Amino acid sequence: MGEASVSEVDGLSPAKSGDERISYRGPIKRLLVSPEIGALIGAVVVWAFFWGNGDKFGTAGSTANFLDVAAPLGIMAVVVALLMIGGEFDLSAGVMTGASGVTIALMAKYFTEGGISLWVCIPAAFLLAGCVGWWNGFLVNRTGLPSFIVTLGSFFVIKGANLVFAKRINSKVNVADVDKAHGYKFFKALLGGENTFGEMKYRGLIFIVGGLLFAALLVLGLIEQSLVRKQSASAGDLAFAVAGLAAAIAGVLILHRTDSINGNYLAGVVGLVGTVVAIVFYSRARFESRHKIVGALPDESKRFLALGIFGMLVASFAGRLFDRNEEQVMLQWMPDTLRMVVAVFAALFPLAMTIRSFARGDKEARGRVIASLIVRLPVICLVSLIGVVSLFQLTTVQAVRAVVITAAGSGGAVCFYQARRAAAKISTKWFLTIGALMSGAFVFVAFALRADANAERFRGGIFASLLLVATLILATTIVEATNRIRTAPDEKADALGRRLVLVGIVLGSIALTVRLLFSDGVFRMSVFWWLFFTVIGAFVLTKTKYGNWIFAVGGNKDAARATGVPADKVKTTLFVATSLMGAFVGAMILMRLNSVQAQQGDGQEFEYIIAAVVGGNLMTGGYGSVIGASLGALIMAISKNGIPAARWNQDGRFIFLGAVLLVSVLVNNYVRKKANEQR
Amino acid sequence: MTAKNPLLELDNISKYFGNVKALENVSTKVLAGQVTCVLGDNGAGKSTFIKIISGLHKPSSGKYKFEGHEVSFESPREARSLGIATVYQDLAMAPLMSVWRNFFLGSEPMRRFGPINVIDAKFARKTAKEEMAKLGIDVRDVDQPVGTLSGGERQSVAIARAVYFGARVLILDEPTSALGVRQSDLVLGYVRAAAARDLGVILITHNPQHALPVGDRFLILNRGQSIGQLEKADLTYERLIELMSGRIHAA
Repeated sequence: MGEASVSEVDGLSPAKSGDERISYRGPIKRLLVSPEIGALIGAVVVWAFFWGNGDKFGTAGSTANFLDVAAPLGIMAVVVALLMIGGEFDLSAGVMTGASGVTIALMAKYFTEGGISLWVCIPAAFLLAGCVGWWNGFLVNRTGLPSFIVTLGSFFVIKGANLVFAKRINSKVNVADVDKAHGYKFFKALLGGENTFGEMKYRGLIFIVGGLLFAALLVLGLIEQSLVRKQSASAGDLAFAVAGLAAAIAGVLILHRTDSINGNYLAGVVGLVGTVVAIVFYSRARFESRHKIVGALPDESKRFLALGIFGMLVASFAGRLFDRNEEQVMLQWMPDTLRMVVAVFAALFPLAMTIRSFARGDKEARGRVIASLIVRLPVICLVSLIGVVSLFQLTTVQAVRAVVITAAGSGGAVCFYQARRAAAKISTKWFLTIGALMSGAFVFVAFALRADANAERFRGGIFASLLLVATLILATTIVEATNRIRTAPDEKADALGRRLVLVGIVLGSIALTVRLLFSDGVFRMSVFWWLFFTVIGAFVLTKTKYGNWIFAVGGNKDAARATGVPADKVKTTLFVATSLMGAFVGAMILMRLNSVQAQQGDGQEFEYIIAAVVGGNLMTGGYGSVIGASLGALIMAISKNGIPAARWNQDGRFIFLGAVLLVSVLVNNYVRKKANEQR
Repeated sequence: MTAKNPLLELDNISKYFGNVKALENVSTKVLAGQVTCVLGDNGAGKSTFIKIISGLHKPSSGKYKFEGHEVSFESPREARSLGIATVYQDLAMAPLMSVWRNFFLGSEPMRRFGPINVIDAKFARKTAKEEMAKLGIDVRDVDQPVGTLSGGERQSVAIARAVYFGARVLILDEPTSALGVRQSDLVLGYVRAAAARDLGVILITHNPQHALPVGDRFLILNRGQSIGQLEKADLTYERLIELMSGRIHAA
C-alpha cells in the first residue's frame, strides 16, 4: 500500500511525477500524426501542379466532370478503407459493381415479357450483393484463410457469371437501354441525376469568403494552441489587429472584383499588409512576449540558405529555357551535344557517388567493397543510363518545364524553412531575417512567373496564392520570433484553439462544397453521394462504438475478442457493407450511362485499394482514415484528368499513378514514424 | 488471520486432460486486499490453474467457491460478469489505437446525440487519465497510441482497465516476464496499488524475486501438485527457491 502514496509524500504534483521524456506536443505535431494529413497535402500539391500546367484543368466545367467520373472510385474507397482498417481485403468489390449493373439491367429487360420494375430489380441486386458479402465474411471467419484468397475466388466466380449471363440472356456483353423500365426516372434522378440550378452568381464570392475565413480561423486556432497567454489582453494592440483584419478583407474583396492582371496594386498591398498587421497585433495583444536571443548565424543555416536562394532562382528563371507550349519529346528536343552530355552524366553519376562514399567510408573494408563493386558498378551505371534516357524519352518539354519549376520552388522553400529552423534557437535577429527573405523569395517567384507565363491563370490565381503564402510566412515568422512558445498543455486555450480550427474547417468545407457541387450550375448526384458516404464513413469510424471495434479487430483481433468485441460479426458486416456499396455504385453507373458492360469494374478493386493506401490506410489493418481514402481517390482522379489536360502522353498516367502510390506510402510511413518518435 | 471472508476459495481442485493429470488436489484462498502469488516452474500447472479460475476450463473435481457460494462457469464471460478479470500476457490491446480507445474497448461509454449514439470521448479521455492516475501512473497524452508506451505502462493500462470495470479478483498472468528491472518494479507497484483498493489479486509468476516483495500468500505448484501454501511471515527467499525446485515439501 506504500507505493501508491509515494508521490503525495514527496509533495510532487501528479503532472510533475510523470515521465519526463514525454513532452508536450504542439498542435502542428499532433496534426502530423493524423493519417489523412499526407493525402491532404498530396491532393493540394497534385492539384496545384496540374492547375498551373494545364489551361483546361481546374476550370469549373472540367472539375465538375472529372469529379462525376471519380465519384464511383471515391465511394468505393470509403468502404474499402473501412474493410482494410478492419484487417481484410475484398478483391470482388470491383466486379461487384458490374454484377449489380448486369443483374439490374437483365432483370429490367428480360425477366418477364417486357421486363419488371426497377423498384424490384435494384433491391434484388442489393440482396444478391449482401449474400456475396456475407459469404465472403463467413468463409474468412470460418476458415481463417486470408481474405485475399477467399475474395479472389469470389472475384473469378462473379466475373465469369457476369459474362455468362450477359451473353446467354442478352447475347452480347453490353446490356443497354434500361430507360424503358418502370421507375427509371426516379432512380435516374436519385443516383445519376444532374440537376441544373442556373447561373450561380455568388459561387465565387462564397468560395473566396469561406476560404479566407478558413485560413484566418486556422491561423488563429494554431496561434491559440501554441503560445503562452497573457493575463489580460491589451486593448490598443487588439484595435490594431481589428483594423488590420478590416484592411485585409477590403483588399481581397477589391482585388476579387478587379482584374488581378493589371490589377489594383494598392488593393493587393493593403490586403497583404492588413493580413500581417492583423496576425502580429492579435498575438501581441493576447500572448506573452519573449526575450531576444543574440547569436551568430549557424553554419547549417548558411548552407540551407544558399540552397534555398538557388532553388528559388531556378524556379523563377528555369521556365524561360523551355517553351511552354512545346509538346515535343524531351530527348528529341535536346540538341545532340546536350544529349551526349546527359547520357555521360547519367552513366557516370553512380560512379561519382561511389567514389565519394568510398573516400568517406571505412578504410579496412575497402578491399571487400572493391571486389563487390567490380561486379555491381557496371550494372548500376547501365541501369542509370537506361533510366535517365527512357525518362527523357517519355516526358515532353512542357512536362519537364513544369516539373523543374515545381521541384525547384518547393525544394527551395523547404531549404529556407530548414535554415529558419536552424536559426530559431540561436538568434532572433537571423530567424526574422531568414523568415523575411523566405517571404521575399516567394514574392520574387510570384513576379518572375507572372511576367513569364502566358496562361491567364498564372497571372491571376497562382500569382495571388504565392503572394498570400509569402504574407503568411512573414506573419508567422514575426509571431514566432516575438512571442513565447508554449511547452505545456493549457486545457482552456487548447480547447478554444481546437474549436476555432473546427469552425474554420466547417466554413471552408461549406465553401468548397458549394464550389464543387454547383461548379457550373449543375448539381451532380454522384458527387453528392461521394461526399455523403465519406461523411457517414468518417463518422462511423471515429465517433461510434462500431468504429472503435473496426480499429480493434484490424489491430489485434484476439484482443478485441478478449474484451468482448464480436470480432466475426464486425468483419462480416464490413464485407457485407463493401458488397452493398459495390451494388450501389453499379446501380449508379447504370443509371448514368443507361447501359452496362459485363466486364465493368474488372481490375478496379486495385484502384480502390490504392486510393485507400494513398490516403494513409495501413495495409495490415488497425490504422487509417476514411477521409484520407476519399482524398486518395481525389488524387488519382486529379492525375487521371490532369495529365491529358496538360497535353502529356495519356498513357503516362500509369507511371504517374505508380509513382504517386510509392511516394505517398513512403511519406506516410516517414511522417508517422517521426511524429511518434518525438513524444 | 484476517476476519474477512475469502473472495475465492478453491478446494481440492483437480483437472485431467485424458490421461494427463494437469492439476491434482490443489487448494487455495484469495482474500480481498491481498496479493496471492502462484509460483512454479514451467509445466507446473500454473496456466491450467488460472484457466480454471478465469472460467476457461471446468475443474474435473473439487469445489470452486466465489464469496462462499459454489460456482461453475460455462465461459470466461460468466466469470468476468462476477468480477473475475484476467490480464493476459498479450495484454488484449491494439497497439495502434490510442490509450483511451483501448481502455474502453468493448465497453465504450455512449452519449445520445439526437437520434444516434456516439462515443463520449470527453468522458472516456478524462476517466482513463484519472483511473490511471489512481494507480500512480501519469499518461500525459491519452491520445497517444498504446504501441508507443513502454511494456510496464502497457501493463498498467490493462490493470487500470480491469480495476475500473469492477474487477473484484484480478488475475495477472506473468506480468513481468518480458520486462526489464525498472519496468518490473513499476508493474509490481501497480499490483500493490490494485490490492490496496481492496481487490483480490492473483499473481502468476515463475520469478521468486518478483513474487516475494509483493505477495501476501504463496501457492507453490510443481508438476500439477501443490507443494505448499504459505503466509509471507513463514517464508524466506532461500526457502521459496527450494520449494519451487521441488526438492522439499512444506509441512
